[in-house]
Amino acid sequence: MRRRAVTATVAGFLLLTGCAEKSQETESGGSGTGDITIGAVLDITGAGATLGGPEKQALELLAEQTNAAGGVNGRKIKLIIEDNQSTEDGAAKAMTKLVSQDKADIIIGASRSGPSLAMGAIAESSKIPMISLAANVKITEGKRWVFKTAQNDAVVLQNIIDYSAAQGWKKLGLIRDASGYGEGVGEQLNELGKPKGVSVVRTEKFAPDATDFTAQMVNIRDAKADVNLIWGIPPAAGLAQKSYRQLGIKTPVFQSHGVGNQAFLDTAGDSADGVLLPLGRLLVADQLPDGDPQKQVLTKFASDFTAKYKTPPSTFAGHAYDAFKLAIDAFQKVGTDKAKVRDHLENVKGFVGVSGVFNMSPQDHSGLGKDALAIVKVEDGKWKLVDANRG
Amino acid sequence: MADLLQFVVAGLAQGGAYALIAIGFVSIFAVSGVINLAQGEFAALAGLCAISAAGAGLPLLPALLVAVAVVAAVAIAIERLAIRPVRRMTTLTSIILTLGVSTALKAVMLLIWGPQGHTLRAFPGSDLTVAGVSIRAQELWILAACALVGGAVWWFYERTLHGKALRACSEQPVAARLIGISLTKASLVSFGIAGVTGAVAGVVTSPIYSSSWEIGLTLGLKGFVAATLGGLLSVRGAILGGILLGVLENLVAGYVATGLRDAVAFVVLIAILLARPGGLVKHTEARV
Repeated sequence: MRRRAVTATVAGFLLLTGCAEKSQETESGGSGTGDITIGAVLDITGAGATLGGPEKQALELLAEQTNAAGGVNGRKIKLIIEDNQSTEDGAAKAMTKLVSQDKADIIIGASRSGPSLAMGAIAESSKIPMISLAANVKITEGKRWVFKTAQNDAVVLQNIIDYSAAQGWKKLGLIRDASGYGEGVGEQLNELGKPKGVSVVRTEKFAPDATDFTAQMVNIRDAKADVNLIWGIPPAAGLAQKSYRQLGIKTPVFQSHGVGNQAFLDTAGDSADGVLLPLGRLLVADQLPDGDPQKQVLTKFASDFTAKYKTPPSTFAGHAYDAFKLAIDAFQKVGTDKAKVRDHLENVKGFVGVSGVFNMSPQDHSGLGKDALAIVKVEDGKWKLVDANRG
Repeated sequence: MADLLQFVVAGLAQGGAYALIAIGFVSIFAVSGVINLAQGEFAALAGLCAISAAGAGLPLLPALLVAVAVVAAVAIAIERLAIRPVRRMTTLTSIILTLGVSTALKAVMLLIWGPQGHTLRAFPGSDLTVAGVSIRAQELWILAACALVGGAVWWFYERTLHGKALRACSEQPVAARLIGISLTKASLVSFGIAGVTGAVAGVVTSPIYSSSWEIGLTLGLKGFVAATLGGLLSVRGAILGGILLGVLENLVAGYVATGLRDAVAFVVLIAILLARPGGLVKHTEARV
């Protein structure tokens, strides 16, 4: 009995000292010299797994490349990646750990809107620059320290409306993700569509981990819209697409930029043929004209990524690429002082990334316009450029 | 009308999957009073095993058999390693224990197959449309599997001497031992059966609902509600409960609000526990 008590106490102490040592080790961050710590909070498991996985790979690839090239002004990059399990509280916890324990110099993430919104509040209160990889415009709205690299959903929706209006499609049916990613999409569509006479006639929702979409699709079929929009991420978006074709709905269908990866084509299979979507140019880089301003960045990233991981990068990997490169660009020019990094990010102009050409401003911490997306169609299980959208 | 039928058809298929999981709950609980919370993980594991086996070049049927065999073996191993060593097993202990097992299984699946979902290729057969109602071939496979496996388990427990001996273990443990029924063997067999039914649920649903390390929780919860609907002791009740739950979920999603789909199971659970704690089906033979 006594021996057990003693061992337990010793174990307890060991645990405690272990923690103390760890927090000492990571003092080196902050400002000045030593390693630069980049903290990333990604949706590696859970509903956002198809996003977070490639993002993690992209960040690891870039950190490796940067360190192999001698780091930033002689300082090595230390990359710490945390999994938020696709939950809001997981994201907040991971963010707090990176900020207070690991003393990160900048935070990248999260992959999806909900977790990113949860992290934004912490970035504001602890005054640390954060670059989200998610779409919802609310992530950066009214925020001082938060930036993002995924195209705003407003930008995406504008493309969908413009394309629909040009085809004469006025009535739009919406089947959307019930979580943060789909929040407010219907309202925005109606607002942006008003000048062109496009409006939402029916909205159906699905949980991000839903598996059966019969109920939603039957209701959408009955709504008889001119065009339908499925707004979600794989695998749900892929299963929804399957169900759409299964129920014999012939109406043209848009998907969102949330499906820009092979996982969507894999789950949706044949049913993806004919799907239209506004998408970053990464997946159609080979179809772009040589003069395209992004072509060089896109092809280099795609070939580096494919060489290391034997699979082409998704547009989500591209969002991570942009966040990492924006951070490195800031560190190179102004060091790791958090306020200076923030100011630098806010004034980024003409930065050629994978998701588009970034022009940040105090009003717009996303920096991407309507031209950051091309209109793409799925044909025979491949992405096909329909409209390069360079104006 | 076509809409109503469409909801029902989709609900039947989903209900078939719940029913298979529910049978697993019943087959263990009726023998040893153990609630096996890792039941849903059996389905997840089987789906992933089948995908790997098919990916390794096996034709569909052998791949399915491999997956079911692996999961049955895992279920038996769990009984040996986690259930049998416990001296005084109560239902509460078993819940805590199998919750741990389920977490461990999930971690292993996450390590092996990664966080992303995968789908098995569809079973043979083409989808058809009858009177405006589209029926997926896979949905028919799910229902067929449910009928076949459910029927076999029901026949075993209710109609064979071995099955009755197994059930006697829970109803009259002392008497059962007196007449020479081995409680440990009975528990082992019941886990094997639960492994097979869970695995069948996992492989037949994988082509349309996809498989990943984390699908087990929802499936397990829904299956448990279905089993409770049937009173936790009756195989027929479990099948009926599963089908009812699946159809009800789809009707609510279609006519009320899609967001309420997952709430249906829990509202039903509360209602049934308040109104008819013994389940919907009357089973006279279950308690002496």
